[in-house]
Amino acid sequence: MKRMVLALLAAICLVPLSFAQAKDVKSFSNKTLNVAVFQGGYGRDYWDAIIAEFEKDYPGVKVNLTASPKIGDVIRPQIVSGNPPDFIYFNEGDAGGVVAGMIKDRSLTDLTDVFNGPAIDQKKAIKDLIIPGTLAGRSCSPYLDGKIYLGPYNYTPMGLVYNKNFFDKNNIALPKTIDEFYALAAVAKKFNRALFTYQGIYPGYLEEIYVPAVYAAGGTKAVQSMYTYDPAFWTSDAAKKAFGVFPKIAALDNGLMKGTVALNHTQSQTEMMKGNAMFIVNGPWMEGEMKDAPREEGFTFGFAGFPGFKAGDPTYCQTGIETFMIPSKAKNAALAKEFLRYLYTTKSIKLNAEKANGVFAVVGAADLVKDKLSESTYNFYKGAESMIQVTGHWGVLPKSSKLNIADEVNNPITSLMNGQMTIDQYTAQLDKVWKQAAAEIKAAN
Amino acid sequence: MSLSRKRNDILFFALCVLPPLLLYMVFYIYPTLNTFWLSLFEYSGIGGAMTFVGLENFAYILKDEHLLKSFGNNLILMLFVPFPTLIIALGSAAALSRKDLKERNFYRTVFFFPSILSFVVVAIVWYFIYSPNSGLLNNCLNALGLKALALPWLGDSRTALGAIIVVLIWQAFGYYMVMYIAGIDSIPQELYEAAEVDGASPFKQFYKITIPLLWPVIRITLVFMIGGTITISFLVANVLTAGGPNFATDTALNQMYRQGTINANYGYAMAIAVVVFLFSMILSMISNRLTNREEKTHG
Repeated sequence: MKRMVLALLAAICLVPLSFAQAKDVKSFSNKTLNVAVFQGGYGRDYWDAIIAEFEKDYPGVKVNLTASPKIGDVIRPQIVSGNPPDFIYFNEGDAGGVVAGMIKDRSLTDLTDVFNGPAIDQKKAIKDLIIPGTLAGRSCSPYLDGKIYLGPYNYTPMGLVYNKNFFDKNNIALPKTIDEFYALAAVAKKFNRALFTYQGIYPGYLEEIYVPAVYAAGGTKAVQSMYTYDPAFWTSDAAKKAFGVFPKIAALDNGLMKGTVALNHTQSQTEMMKGNAMFIVNGPWMEGEMKDAPREEGFTFGFAGFPGFKAGDPTYCQTGIETFMIPSKAKNAALAKEFLRYLYTTKSIKLNAEKANGVFAVVGAADLVKDKLSESTYNFYKGAESMIQVTGHWGVLPKSSKLNIADEVNNPITSLMNGQMTIDQYTAQLDKVWKQAAAEIKAAN
Repeated sequence: MSLSRKRNDILFFALCVLPPLLLYMVFYIYPTLNTFWLSLFEYSGIGGAMTFVGLENFAYILKDEHLLKSFGNNLILMLFVPFPTLIIALGSAAALSRKDLKERNFYRTVFFFPSILSFVVVAIVWYFIYSPNSGLLNNCLNALGLKALALPWLGDSRTALGAIIVVLIWQAFGYYMVMYIAGIDSIPQELYEAAEVDGASPFKQFYKITIPLLWPVIRITLVFMIGGTITISFLVANVLTAGGPNFATDTALNQMYRQGTINANYGYAMAIAVVVFLFSMILSMISNRLTNREEKTHG
């Protein structure tokens, strides 16, 4: 009897502990966190807000935030001197080469335990919150060894952007096949606009066309073949068909807007919004990036995927992932990991939608934050949900490789668009590059 | 002079020279030596491990098609930038040295102005001038009815390098013009007067008096132009075209920058820097040798 009473008393005493959340029990010896973030189309308001919340929920913690459009250049000297920030957010395709360098050097902290571990505000492992397939992909597991080195942030469907109001008003139907897309060039001419423009001096944006196009032409096999430097890829029909879209657009009457190849991203986007081109390639950050830009009367953002090659094909779009990372030499990896966990709370996901108009790579995120997103951004994501989403990332080359695959694939597309290179010359040139990459990988193993 | 006074003088000179010497060693000598040293390693530049690879980076340079092509661009720039710059600078200097030109100060200021602008500013200004739809150049051509010539200058691999050559000449000629004006001003006026009396035309005066006496200055400025073309072309190309379109305006230094920062191949980038250094030195030595003449004396 006495034992039972004692046990009951003990149980009652221990009950309050079950309400204590992890953050009260854990105490961090180092309470200073250095966070460095890319500041671009999504701005920095989300970071200011979430850090304020984090400091409130973890009293005593001080977070130092560095935000810059050139964050790579800002933190590079810190990393080289052995003093990296504890937590970094980089945009996709970071031009500073810092992410690529750190992946090559293997100087990122293993985050697998964070994702296998529990979420802060739900009874789930964090990895179960994330959109399936994301964590296993190269964006998060660059070495494809099951270990996660980069945490997913915004996921961004990318594809053709058009003026929805213009299409609705003039009863123009979205193209369901690539041939219908080409046919719209004649329609566009009647409205004094070209069919297509893109961010001329940054041909990398055209990835948002050729990746879905490769999938449309050859399925997952073709996409994997491309990303893993299969030497047979460039001689395949899928490659010629997919990349052949570019010379076709260039050869169309009224296909490519005049002057496109010399425009930068804001100029080409402005031209499209002013009604000089029907379509452009972009992602959901475009609205925020162009919020002060001039546009034609009644312009609204619409998102269309890449139309397939045959009648009855679905539409495809490329999705990308922005990522978080914690350098292995970070002085406060423990608190940085906790901060990472904190970013996957519902509060954070909603703040991100509200302040940055961004959507975390979390299952059901678009609907979770529908009330916080602008209508066109919500339509972007909702639209993408009905498309075949193609993700992928160039495989990591051995450390000593001097190849920059993105440049090798993207830069000559300008010549395709200028009519100075044929598709056969292009694929032949890249065939050589792929064979070199494959040889380098073989030699390193 | 007493011994202690001489020693004081030497001490004073040493103290004056020491700070700049230290700065020079830290910011010029050490980084240069470091560059040579790092070129022998494989290093990401982001604080990772450094692996000694000897001359492997240099061996790859011989096989790197993109890099060899960019050296070709450097050679083209070397052919088409220094000489036009020299001619334009010399011509304007001669024109502006005439004592009877009332507006000479105004022109001198205006021509000199581009060379004091930061190179990034120069590139951005010309980016807008070359802009295909809203830029100054194409709008002028359209207004003159030359619509067919209104090309996407920076987006077409056939015209991009030429566009950059124009920018480089525009930026540099004022700087050298001022040097030549100073040189011409130091030529005794009597020489010109004597030549005039003998019936020499202005052109003959220029060719027989001005150029020979200005020759030492011209020699030195040629060396400056060679080095300047290499560095300024990198900056301008980086901002105007990022080495594009399709590597058409890529110079060796653009490749160095890309390999070092974006590709995390810092050691290889340093090897490229070493080769550019040797290239520049050899060109300067050749230029010096070719322009060597006996110093002509006055009178």
